[in-house]
Amino acid sequence: MEQKIAVKVDDLTVAYNYKPVLWDIDLEIPESVLMAIVGPNGAGKSTLIKSILGILNPIAGSISIYDKPYDKQRQLVAYVPQKGSVDWDFPTTALDVVMMGTYGSLGWIKRPGQKQKKAALEALEKVGMLPFKNRQISQLSGGQQQRIFLARALVQNASIYFMDEPFQGVDATTEIAIINILKELRKAGKTVIVVHHDLQTVPEYFDWVTFLNVKKIATGPVKDIFNDDNLTKTYGINYKVSIQE
Amino acid sequence: MNSAQIEIQLIASLVAVACAIPGTFLVLRKMAMISDAISHSILPGIVIGFFITHDLNSPLLIVLAALTGIITVVLVEYIQKTGLVKEDTAIGLVFPALFSIGVIMIAKNANDVHLDVDAVLLGELAFAPFDRLIIAGTDIGPKALWIIGVILLITLTLLIAFFKELKVSTFDKGLATSLGFSPAIIHYGLMSVSSVTTVGAFDAVGAILVVALMIAPAAAAYLLTTNLKKMLVLSVVFGIFSAILGYWVAHWLDASIAGSITTVLGLLFLAVYLFAPNKGIIAVLYREKQQRTEVSLITFLLHLKNHSEVEERHVNHLREHINWQKVRAKKVLDLALKNNMIHIDNNVVSLTEKGETFTSKAIDYIITNEDAQIEDMKDDFFLFRG
Repeated sequence: MEQKIAVKVDDLTVAYNYKPVLWDIDLEIPESVLMAIVGPNGAGKSTLIKSILGILNPIAGSISIYDKPYDKQRQLVAYVPQKGSVDWDFPTTALDVVMMGTYGSLGWIKRPGQKQKKAALEALEKVGMLPFKNRQISQLSGGQQQRIFLARALVQNASIYFMDEPFQGVDATTEIAIINILKELRKAGKTVIVVHHDLQTVPEYFDWVTFLNVKKIATGPVKDIFNDDNLTKTYGINYKVSIQE
Repeated sequence: MNSAQIEIQLIASLVAVACAIPGTFLVLRKMAMISDAISHSILPGIVIGFFITHDLNSPLLIVLAALTGIITVVLVEYIQKTGLVKEDTAIGLVFPALFSIGVIMIAKNANDVHLDVDAVLLGELAFAPFDRLIIAGTDIGPKALWIIGVILLITLTLLIAFFKELKVSTFDKGLATSLGFSPAIIHYGLMSVSSVTTVGAFDAVGAILVVALMIAPAAAAYLLTTNLKKMLVLSVVFGIFSAILGYWVAHWLDASIAGSITTVLGLLFLAVYLFAPNKGIIAVLYREKQQRTEVSLITFLLHLKNHSEVEERHVNHLREHINWQKVRAKKVLDLALKNNMIHIDNNVVSLTEKGETFTSKAIDYIITNEDAQIEDMKDDFFLFRG
């Protein structure tokens, strides 16, 4: 069976101040996979996601989402930024942050109404955060904040989810809760792309993986390509011992 | 009150509202210093406009000044993007340069006109009622009132129309971009509104008070609420309050209106900073003190739970062993007694049943960080409130 390609990246090069962070990346992500992007610090993992989403401007290359440019396909895509990228002292509540996920489908000027509120409450329920809906966001723990971000992505009801280090600074319970929701999304035919740090959990959590270190090292099913060879190529040291543990 | 007094208060209040709205977003975006930069660097725009039109209230002045405001922002961002200096340094480089160009232009060319550096810095609200707007022979009020009124109307319209976009791009730029709300458009929109408001307000209140009116009410409101809409409303209320009270203070003291309003704003912020219920400095210190006591309490209860031997639980031993100062030990003991956590027989302390449950729950919470167990404890103990 030929799988549809959800995200296609062609010859993508991104530079900060003339120093390439991503170099000539070609990547095809098939529909309905749960994919980890792994690589050392500074490998360009977040940059890759941000470039796909149009948050950064690449110096070369093109991106397509289901064969069309990202601008035309925004509605199909949800994004969970790194938790540290926002100011959690911002005067707003958990529910309100989740509602922000509905803004994309509303477009400019139109305001969220009952329908959007209902969707946001359902998403909060799904991540187990309904009791905290009126809590100011700075009063939430790191794990709870991450769940709020996940709920905000769920409410977008997208086909493709991009998540930048969703497990950073969360407790084990939250990590399991999040990965279960991601697995459910994949089962429902969604494509989930996660910047991930913990190599140990890759085989357990994901079915697809991309090795990245400025250049793309490899991409494919975890069972085929998650091996010492690629790990060594990506990280420059032999990871054999740590993985076999 | 005569009509001039009413007009002055009305102008001051409208200026305060027009400043408070963009000011709220500047504070939330941590861009308070940008308003300072804009308020100074619009000077060359105003001077050039004045040379062309010879009218301080001409719309061309506003347009040119707003343009220099935007140029300031662009220059600051450009210098910052080079990565050679940080934002605050960039601001400190750009606005004095532009401001000094304005000062030199005034000194060289406008010695004998009504435009001097004092008026620019401090404004003169008291004279505002003398400059009337006359259309077809009818006096329809002070020009300053109309200018700031129109600016406020535009600001309010934009705020209501783009509230959602302003909120999301202020909170999470990345999400805003990915949803298709260009943060750049909103950023420059906000900067334009700030510039136009500054220009419209500066003739009445001067460049320095504009900054105070933008930042102080918003900063005070920020300490009092956790809701963006309430923060906006509070900023507006604080602005109007300071404008009117400041006017009367100036009246009683026979002092500068702009100076008095700024002073009231400063005092208002100080009061909020000290007494705000949650974020105020007194509340914070009280909470920290209370939390220290409660940590001691839990340490103490835990010690009791771990030691069934009588000698470990003797009052004197506890004082020695846990090594607290006498006062603190007494306080902790009192707190525990008051909450029925312990009872004391012959100077030997034991946990009550309530104390036992409390300790287990608290330890559970500290280990697992699961909130559910301690929801009912939050009312009594600061330690468990986020």
